[in-house]
Amino acid sequence: MSNLLSLTTFLPVLGVLLLLFIPKDSKGMLRNVAFATTVVTFLVSLPIMFGFQSNAEFQFVENVPWIAAGPFVMRYFVGIDGISLWLVMLTTFIMPIAVLSTYTAVEEKVKEYMILLLLLETGMLGAFISLDMFLFYIFWEVMLIPMYFMIGIWGGKNRIYAAVKFFIYTMVGSLLMLVALIYLYFKGLEAGFTNFGLLQFFNLQLPMSAQVWLFLAFALAFAIKVPMFPLHTWLPDAHTEAPTAGSVILAAILLKMGTYGYVRFAIPLFPEAAHTYAPLIATLAVIGIIYAALVAMVQEDVKKLVAYSSVAHLGFVMLGVFAFNVEGITGGLLQMINHGISTGALFLIVGFIYERRHTRLITDFGGLSKQMPVFATIFMIVTFSSIGLPGTNGFVGEFLVLIGAFESELRWWTIIATSGVILSAVYMLWMFQRVMFGELDNPKNQKLKDLNAREIGIMVPLIVMIFVMGIYPKPFIDKMDPAVKKLVSQVRPASMNVKKMPEAVPASPAGHTGIETPAGHPAAPAAGPHAAPAVNPHDAK
Amino acid sequence: MTTADIYAIMPLIILTAGCVLCLLAGSLRPGFYLYPAALAVVGAALLWCVCVPAESVMPGMTVNRFSRASSAFFYATGLVALLMAYGYNRRRGIEGEEYPATLLFALLGMGVTCSASNLLMLFLGLEAFTFAFYILVTIERDSILGGESGLKYLLNGTLSAAVMGMGMALLYAGSGTLKLAELTTVAGIPEPLLQAGIGMILIGLAFKLSLVPAHLWTPDVYQGAPAPVTALLSTASKGAAVVALLLLFPLLQTWQGGHDLLWLLALLSMLTGNLAALLQPGIKRMLAWSSIGQMGYVALAFVAFPAGGDRAALLYVVAYAAAGLAAFGAVSILSDTSERDDIDSYRGLGYRNPLAGAVLALAMFSLAGIPPTAGFMAKFAVFAAALRAGEITLALAGIASALVAVFFYLRIVVVLYMKKPAELSEVRALTVAEILALGIPGATLVLLGVYPQPLLDLLKAILA
Repeated sequence: MSNLLSLTTFLPVLGVLLLLFIPKDSKGMLRNVAFATTVVTFLVSLPIMFGFQSNAEFQFVENVPWIAAGPFVMRYFVGIDGISLWLVMLTTFIMPIAVLSTYTAVEEKVKEYMILLLLLETGMLGAFISLDMFLFYIFWEVMLIPMYFMIGIWGGKNRIYAAVKFFIYTMVGSLLMLVALIYLYFKGLEAGFTNFGLLQFFNLQLPMSAQVWLFLAFALAFAIKVPMFPLHTWLPDAHTEAPTAGSVILAAILLKMGTYGYVRFAIPLFPEAAHTYAPLIATLAVIGIIYAALVAMVQEDVKKLVAYSSVAHLGFVMLGVFAFNVEGITGGLLQMINHGISTGALFLIVGFIYERRHTRLITDFGGLSKQMPVFATIFMIVTFSSIGLPGTNGFVGEFLVLIGAFESELRWWTIIATSGVILSAVYMLWMFQRVMFGELDNPKNQKLKDLNAREIGIMVPLIVMIFVMGIYPKPFIDKMDPAVKKLVSQVRPASMNVKKMPEAVPASPAGHTGIETPAGHPAAPAAGPHAAPAVNPHDAK
Repeated sequence: MTTADIYAIMPLIILTAGCVLCLLAGSLRPGFYLYPAALAVVGAALLWCVCVPAESVMPGMTVNRFSRASSAFFYATGLVALLMAYGYNRRRGIEGEEYPATLLFALLGMGVTCSASNLLMLFLGLEAFTFAFYILVTIERDSILGGESGLKYLLNGTLSAAVMGMGMALLYAGSGTLKLAELTTVAGIPEPLLQAGIGMILIGLAFKLSLVPAHLWTPDVYQGAPAPVTALLSTASKGAAVVALLLLFPLLQTWQGGHDLLWLLALLSMLTGNLAALLQPGIKRMLAWSSIGQMGYVALAFVAFPAGGDRAALLYVVAYAAAGLAAFGAVSILSDTSERDDIDSYRGLGYRNPLAGAVLALAMFSLAGIPPTAGFMAKFAVFAAALRAGEITLALAGIASALVAVFFYLRIVVVLYMKKPAELSEVRALTVAEILALGIPGATLVLLGVYPQPLLDLLKAILA
């Protein structure tokens, strides 16, 4: 079926329509319908994963006219490659878990909550599959509203401050991006493009001065979302105030929008500018890694600690992506998925103890492992995954990132960043030790119940993924590999060839990759003929 | 007058007859049955406009696709405003046949405005609906604020009418013709006469659009008038003024100063409107200042006229009208019998009255220009046109002020949904009229935000 992507994306909206007709007092019904919707969405998305061919082309493409306003032509143009495939899968995979986690956490306004969750899912999926820049922008903004409400309505004490801060930060970034988009489109018009289709813009020759401004506008918008130091301050606020499911989605998926934006838009659209600013971004990423780790270490609140660990992890992703080689980008992408799973799991764990004790202060706990053995085991595994212990998913991604970045021009940055690995072990294990081990001296903790069946059910898929991706990451890497190689070929020549051949711009990788093909890319000769039309047929449509 | 002419102006005839009959029937047997009757009249005029493609050129008036589409827009707006007023006036005890009759008369004036082909007819149309609003603003006779705002509106309005009339007289004195089409081609209008004429007409229209510095009446009138009247005043009457500006625009373009004046009006309105709205404690005054800012964006579209600004302006007006109707409709329903103006008194109302709350929030998002609402598409069209026309400074000022505007629009949403309700009063079930009055603009906001193509096609066709 060719419109599988649209079906997946808009199924949650159907669920919303269903929810509207359920009275708001039948909470069980509301929860079940929302859960069923996300499960069905996940099931529908499975054929996408199995049907995905391991090549560099965009697949499951749909391209129909949408808006034509004077010189502006926007199309409903969607499709996925190996990069977005896993993010789509991550989204459909995390959503049922997030919904399930709210069965007891959210008692008030269940209907509104579920509606927002489902709308959010549509927004996120839409952003990952959009290949029309305008469509992407719409979905990008659509995500903003449900999240804003989720933080603002179901959040903690400071929720309104956090919600407005989240909104304004994102809004500033997106407006900049919008201006850059319009400017880019005008440049495209001059070059004879007729719509907002992303792929043709990869071939656009832009003067360096224009590239720099456009790159900075896009980079700023995405950097806010990632979030990169020093634009990260909204994140701890948003996380601390958001309800559990909100935090899970925020950490697991929404933050990936930022890094995905770099990989899909900012870097391939403006490769020269990306190269120029790579040291700056790598510096900020490394500062983020170290700074966030240090701040995480002194947090009293478990949730804030996890939030800062997110900042550090995403610093690694950025470092990997800006290494501009296959290992680095693959590692970065894997780390995006890993972070989604392990940090999502960590927020769920924080949610479990918060529901039981209504506190998140580390000092209020201690010795929980005696009272809650199952919980302790699960928490341990997730902690290891977050640290990146070999055998868990975190290791594979982090290792690839570090290898890739070390081989690139970012060697010195990598050396400093490596200390972040140690720091993450320090703050995570120290937190784990203070919460789980020691004396069970707080009387309130002595009656805590271990996880129930629903809670274990939530965690099991995540634990399974932690090990699957840690022990056998090959299928994941294989599917994203061609897309990553194509991305590298789009970025590489820019820096390597000082003198550019006008007709041999990214469209025909055969010309460029020739330099580096033989050793590392056995598939390249075969991929060549594929990859070349991969860009062009879409333009023709 | 031929049959074709009569067919073409049939909506105006329907409205006139409806207005007179409404007055007569009211004097015999007053009551609220007149509202459904007036609704039927507006509905009939709207249907005729949409369904009967009768077009003709008459002395002073030209009925073509453009005028038909614009009048359909005015009548639709009037329809929603009437639906809104039906319940509101009953609750407030605004009795009598004057309300529906005057509203019909206002729509008549707008219908005339958009089909005018000479200066005199244009003036008549503009003043006809403004005249109707002088009455509607003060229709709540016991309201002190209503009386004050009515007087302010009347004084400002007559002054601006006088200025505009003088401008038209000067143009006539210079060119010897009143016809819009001929005015642009007549050569040898003395430069001072042309400039003074255009300038004065612009000032007159700036009053109707409440562009800074002719905006001072706006906050008081919006606050004092009944909410359904404000709804119509802020949407259809602005729309009619935009249409008038569009009709006059070829004339304006003959003088570079016209562009510069509009440039200044746009800048001042965007900045003043959005900054002042930040400070307002009352929702109606906030919406009033925000509408000044919104009209600044329309003026920005006119500045960018050569780059497709006309279409952007009309798109903006439609999007703004839908949001304005939705906002004031929700305010009139949430206010219920009390005068609920303080923004803080809307705490938690989003849950008490889900539909009205949701529509109000949607309107706020649209006014703030956040996708997927009509407001975003409209803002995108305006800014893109401005950038294309090379008006970088103005576009940047517009974007910056739009960002400021996000704050105060969000404030309403925050109060509606994120604050604990202060009191718990009875929840009243909405009537069908109210659901329609909220649902139509609300659905328009979403539809235009997701799929604006049909409207864009229509605008392209009528502006060709």
